[in-house]
Amino acid sequence: MNAITKKKRRIALGCEGSANKLGIGVILHEGDLSSPSSTCTSRVLSNVRHTFVSPPGTGFLPKDTARHHRAFFVRVAKQALADAGVSAADIDCVCYTRGPGMGAPLTSVAVAARTLALLWGRDLVGVNHCVGHIEMGRAITGAEHPVVLYVSGGNTQVIAYAEQRYRIFGETLDIAVGNCLDRFARALAISNDPAPGYNIEQLAKQGGRVLLDLPYAVKGMDCSFSGILTRAEELAAQMKAGGKGPDGEPFTGADLCFSLQETVFAMLVEITERAMAHVGSSQVLIVGGVGCNERLQDMMGAMAADRGGSVYATDERFCIDNGIMIAHAGLLAYETGFRTLMEESTCTQRFRTDEVFVKWRR
Amino acid sequence: MAPTETHQFPPPKVLTYHHHQSSSSSPPPTLITQGAEGRLYKTTHLTRDRPCALKYRPPKPYRHPVLDARLTKARLASEAKVLERCRREGVSVPAVYAVDPAAGWMMMEWIEGVPVRVRINAWLGERCGEEDGEEGEEMDETPLVDLMKRVGEAVGALHRTGVVHGDLTTSNMMLRPPPPPPGQVNGREEEDNKAKVLEGEVVLIDFGLATQSMSDEDRAVDLYVLERAFASTHPRAERLFASVLASYRDAFKKASSVLVKLEDVRMRGRKRSMLG
Amino acid sequence: MALEKLELKHVPPTYHVYGALFRDVANTDFLHKQLLSRNSEFEYAFIDASSVISRLHVLSAVYSAINVLLDGTLRTPNVHSEIVVSLNTNNNIADAYRRWGITPGKTKDLIVIKVIPPPQSPAQEQDETATTQQQQQQEAIWDHLRQHVQGIPAPLTDAELAQATDWPKVRKYYRLNGVPALDRLADERERRREMESLVVMGMALRGL
Repeated sequence: MNAITKKKRRIALGCEGSANKLGIGVILHEGDLSSPSSTCTSRVLSNVRHTFVSPPGTGFLPKDTARHHRAFFVRVAKQALADAGVSAADIDCVCYTRGPGMGAPLTSVAVAARTLALLWGRDLVGVNHCVGHIEMGRAITGAEHPVVLYVSGGNTQVIAYAEQRYRIFGETLDIAVGNCLDRFARALAISNDPAPGYNIEQLAKQGGRVLLDLPYAVKGMDCSFSGILTRAEELAAQMKAGGKGPDGEPFTGADLCFSLQETVFAMLVEITERAMAHVGSSQVLIVGGVGCNERLQDMMGAMAADRGGSVYATDERFCIDNGIMIAHAGLLAYETGFRTLMEESTCTQRFRTDEVFVKWRR
Repeated sequence: MAPTETHQFPPPKVLTYHHHQSSSSSPPPTLITQGAEGRLYKTTHLTRDRPCALKYRPPKPYRHPVLDARLTKARLASEAKVLERCRREGVSVPAVYAVDPAAGWMMMEWIEGVPVRVRINAWLGERCGEEDGEEGEEMDETPLVDLMKRVGEAVGALHRTGVVHGDLTTSNMMLRPPPPPPGQVNGREEEDNKAKVLEGEVVLIDFGLATQSMSDEDRAVDLYVLERAFASTHPRAERLFASVLASYRDAFKKASSVLVKLEDVRMRGRKRSMLG
Repeated sequence: MALEKLELKHVPPTYHVYGALFRDVANTDFLHKQLLSRNSEFEYAFIDASSVISRLHVLSAVYSAINVLLDGTLRTPNVHSEIVVSLNTNNNIADAYRRWGITPGKTKDLIVIKVIPPPQSPAQEQDETATTQQQQQQEAIWDHLRQHVQGIPAPLTDAELAQATDWPKVRKYYRLNGVPALDRLADERERRREMESLVVMGMALRGL
């Protein structure tokens, strides 16, 4: 038994920077760990984020993103502590994202997290980014045993928990759905502020006169987005050249956004439904940045209702990459005795969700 | 596939015609599964002594109606064509009895038996129970390995005909029990059933995502989908998947290049975790 | 009476279907003429039994045609011609009439199917009188057939139909030659059963 399990109140600081968001948050777990019957509660004490936004028509590059994270780390960390109303002495462990993600930004944040751990004399906990999303989603929504759709700029996975692991039932066979949307936004020079996906969603609300024909690529519980992106980019070029839609009328960027969303989200809902049928679950939890999209949430909700279940989703505070999810998942692991030694506190671009041994769940 | 849900769905129109006072009344259609593809009913084709499976793809409320109609029609037509091709080539699949793509349904041969998934898990569950008693004793995996071989053969035969399934899982394979030997009725079943739990012919079902393809890539993805489904559904038997691939190699002449491709597909799978 | 009332699953109970078989029909010329002239008294599906292998085969075509009628997508003048067309594996209507319809001078054994859809005004048929009405209806059809079809009535059974089947023709019409699924079956009964499956499947996939 280590000391942490005896504490009634446990506090962790989490640092996330695997892509263009730098997020730092503080979480509090309350409850008696030594008695198996008692339930623990989680409380978000602070959740601060600063996003690196690249100009329209461009994506964020690893080097620039890493520079952003280094430049803002101290400011964001101080803010997180201040918002939480805690001091370094109250923190039990420092959690950071080990991966997956972009190398340079991950490394910047890992170095900063190590510095805090050494400075404060606290243990380090390396966290899988995807597991962070899942655990935060479960904590916020109360979904007990959901099938999880994890959709972001870098990942598209359908996940369900079984025997101490988050098992991947389906995923993209090429690019992530968020990447498909981001790159399409560049083709139409849609703003990256606050996020390209958000702006596509708003634009799509003005479209819908026609549904433009895009490839629909589902294979089992997997899917593919690169063919759709190519076709959408072609249609964008046709639109600029004054091309006509299937009804003989010109179509707009809004129609394109609408058609793209309808098609790719239908695919995502379909593979999620297939996984739910496969594992016999009627709950679905959407996590990751694309999970903020209300059209996706609505479609998923309609599917779940049809199956006699329901959809669980969080808002942008938790869907979009954040530090609090790293703090929460890290603290769950820490409470079971998990530690990341200083000399092993590396990070890795590749880190599959199913590599993590999930000791804290039954 | 999930067990039958408790809440009711409106059945397709084709299942709403009943002969009330008829002397030949047969049991009403029963909902067997609500898969992602749609719903599967057990009913009868033409006459009451001819059981059939009716696959119904209801309109998906979440999907744009234009996209929904396009997908439903295309998938039913493609599924029926693939089944015919397989059936003519001698692959064990259900025969098609009747199709109405616009209405979203298809009647197929009723396959007796249970999904391979159920049998594997039943078998594994039983073995585990035995293990508790006799510690350290090696369990005899021969029947399971033998079933894996039949699975590999079935997939090999399928690929040989130029069809990829698109959704290979152990739920989409039925284990059809061998017909009872003539004359033998209900004899000392208890003992036999235990040994025979993994016996039977592997019949591939649910071709809703199947396509006609001869490409190594598509075939490899087919195997990869099965491999991952197998690992997630039967984590305790994951290592036995090698037997599936070995018999696939024996059953299908062009298997070796597919298996090379499978390595690539697996690699891509691991690389996909590059970005968070 | 050799006119059988056929009860098909998944057909509305307000639809009545009757079937009969006549062997050695002598007046195919006359019957063919009635069809050509669209004589409304001869609204029957006349099927050449030599192109048919079993009762299930016929019933599948009948079901398919009624389903098309219910969908409102008839491609031929009426449900009876649609039955003949439903026996084909493609959408070539003339071909279907030639292969499965009545051929003057050639057709020997004839399957007759009569489909009676519900009356146009729905109130007309009430449950109370339905049974007697049906019996009268069936008798009237049988009287009419006996009067105009010069052949030997026979029950519409697999055994009777098997005697009429011209296998080489059926194999050709349903592309059953050189099919691996059939060639590897040694047992003749099993092979027949599989052929029936492939025939029904070929019809089900017509036009897909």
